[in-house]
Amino acid sequence: MHPLLIVFLIFGIPAGVALGWVFLRGSESLRRYILTRIALTLPMVLILISVVFFVLRVMPGDVVSSTLGPKASEAARQNIMEALGLDDPLIVQYFRFLGDVVTFDLGDSFIGARRPIVDELGERLPATLELITPAAILALGSGLLFGTYAAIRRKKPADYSLRLYSVIIYSMPIFWLGLLLRLVFSVWLDWTPIAGRIDVVTNTTLVRTTNLLVVDSILTGNWAALRSVLHHMILPAMTLGLVLSGVFIRLTRINVIETLQEDYVVAARARGIRERVVTYSYALKNAMIPVVTVMGLQVAILLAGAVLTETVFNWPGMGRYLIERISSRDFQAVQSTVAVFALFVAIISLAVDVIYSILDPRVKY
Amino acid sequence: MAQDIESTPDPGQVADWELELQKVGFARRILMARKWYRTDWWFVAISTVMVVGFLIVAAVPQWLAAHDPLEQVGPRLLAPRELPEQEILVVPIGGTIASIADFEPDVRTPVAVAIDTPSSEAARDEAERVTDEIAASGGEGRIRLQIERRETAEEALAAVETGEAVAAVISSKTYEAIAAEFPTLKDSGAVSSAEQDATSFPLGTNQVGQDVLSRLIWGARIAIIIGFSASIASFVIGVPLGLLAGFVGGKIDRVMTLIMDSIYAFPGLILAIAITAVLGPSIFNIIVAIAVLYIPTYYRIVRGQTLQARQALYVEAARSLGAKSKVILTRYIFPNVIPSVAVIFSVNVADAILTGAGLSFLGLGLPLSIPDWGIDLARGQEFIRSAWWLITFPGLAVMSVVLAFTMMGEGLVEIFNPKLRER
Repeated sequence: MHPLLIVFLIFGIPAGVALGWVFLRGSESLRRYILTRIALTLPMVLILISVVFFVLRVMPGDVVSSTLGPKASEAARQNIMEALGLDDPLIVQYFRFLGDVVTFDLGDSFIGARRPIVDELGERLPATLELITPAAILALGSGLLFGTYAAIRRKKPADYSLRLYSVIIYSMPIFWLGLLLRLVFSVWLDWTPIAGRIDVVTNTTLVRTTNLLVVDSILTGNWAALRSVLHHMILPAMTLGLVLSGVFIRLTRINVIETLQEDYVVAARARGIRERVVTYSYALKNAMIPVVTVMGLQVAILLAGAVLTETVFNWPGMGRYLIERISSRDFQAVQSTVAVFALFVAIISLAVDVIYSILDPRVKY
Repeated sequence: MAQDIESTPDPGQVADWELELQKVGFARRILMARKWYRTDWWFVAISTVMVVGFLIVAAVPQWLAAHDPLEQVGPRLLAPRELPEQEILVVPIGGTIASIADFEPDVRTPVAVAIDTPSSEAARDEAERVTDEIAASGGEGRIRLQIERRETAEEALAAVETGEAVAAVISSKTYEAIAAEFPTLKDSGAVSSAEQDATSFPLGTNQVGQDVLSRLIWGARIAIIIGFSASIASFVIGVPLGLLAGFVGGKIDRVMTLIMDSIYAFPGLILAIAITAVLGPSIFNIIVAIAVLYIPTYYRIVRGQTLQARQALYVEAARSLGAKSKVILTRYIFPNVIPSVAVIFSVNVADAILTGAGLSFLGLGLPLSIPDWGIDLARGQEFIRSAWWLITFPGLAVMSVVLAFTMMGEGLVEIFNPKLRER
């Protein structure tokens, strides 16, 4: 099975189960909401893909001369143009590209070994996922924890310092934080590897099926590889997670403060329920709803941050692939990568909205 | 009772407290606001000072930067405040010789150097210069050196200790490392008097010998230009679109909102990467790419506010009085929408600067001939092992500008929208 497909399945199955649950157990209005939401996702993906397609067509410097060199004969140029379908009218190319995206056959990359782009993305997307998943967990976890703490300690030094921390970390260019962490932990202290996903030597022993190296090494019981992978993952995931944690701390703090002033919290306190229970099971539970909503929008920031983090740590993910292919003017690969990004964002924000509608019964569309 | 009636203000008369407030000057009033806004006041105050500082730096970098940001002005990769490496004269402590000018003319003076170093050349050059000076002042005689070559710097210094040579010429860094082994010798300063006033650079130099501080100062101009132009551009496009969509509603609204939401939900940097890749590197293009990203930000806020304002009583009243749609939009709704947009403008500038730095870090936004923080960071990361200052200071600069604008915006939000404050 294709690695890209496996990865989509790993993320798709839980989402499918959640959707199924909603359809079986949910109310009529909830079902209608989710159907509308899915119907709205398609035009969104279509708009993004179209924008990218037409924007890239006006790109200066064509791929033909960069593959063949400027002195190529007219006949050779014509051959390549025909082979790639570049001599067709723009509108034909456009619909062919849409067809490619639907059938998941994105053509071959123009440069290097001319491998199918789907295969190349099959290596790159898992790398990006393996970077953003621990980062998101770190950001969300620390955000909920410290955000609640700041809300309880409102207007105390702890609150002010956490607020200051979140503003500062938000203002940090993510690539700079990455460089600083690399400088301190890899160069000065020599605790972590300087770049990459896995040791070169260990890499040869690892059998890849999903290209999610953590999953692969656990499946094959290759503990040395797992160690190496986790060791390489620490700094990049920390960089991305820390930058996002600021946003989550602020969000959680504001929402917990708001819910702590709700009547039902006051009522719970009046009934003599312990403060800890009031905070965590009354206030935080309800404060989490808006935090989850924003999580969907944070995916965009997460992916943008991943592009920069991958560049700093030489992490072979989608972001670096995009940058590499832009510099070699391989626009078939560029538009495919952006299309996969768009699909990914659409699926996640769909999933977030579904979760939101389950969490918050008040949602109406 | 009578008092109550007296204190009720006449419709045409101004209340006492207002008169009192008018007596207080503008500056005093701002200081008094500290009491009500407390920490947020300090946030705004400190960040405003920082913002003004950056604006000044961006306005007149040529007055503040000591060096041309694009020229090589010193040795390569000089650490902050480190003096460039010099050839120094090492002499016995208590001796009469302090420089080559003190050597006796017309006598071959033995000077020890280590082989394969530029030391002997430096010594000869200085000897020639002193000779010329003597001739120029009407004197006679030549400073003549007898260069004693030794295998290592240690051996050269040992030759001075044993008296085989009057002095040694070695590089300052080498001497620093081994000075402790030769307690009877001392550093008598740079061989050449021209080198003596060699300057150090407060933040060091980069891999091509440019002054890091001067590049930082000029980089502020680029960051401010990009941040402000991009934000103004998205403001100018996003606000009218939002007003229109919110006011007209219907199909136009739905289509525009769908497009804006798609752009908003997509990772902005990736879209900007695609746009700059198409347009090619230049300041104008990076501004266009960033402006596109932030149009939805303004659109969404203005549309939401317009939807609310459209149903407000004063709009209803204006409409029933026969006001035209255009008048309602420009005279009634627009002024009520503006404050919330003005507040996010500051945060938007910060975001735009951050995105601009990210783009040029990836090598996409700006041509290399422009002194920019993102470019400096990208080029500095190759020297992460040897030169920490190359990546530390440009990043610090980006962070403090972004921090200043964000803090100002956040503080203003709290002050203008105190819903969250006292409840």
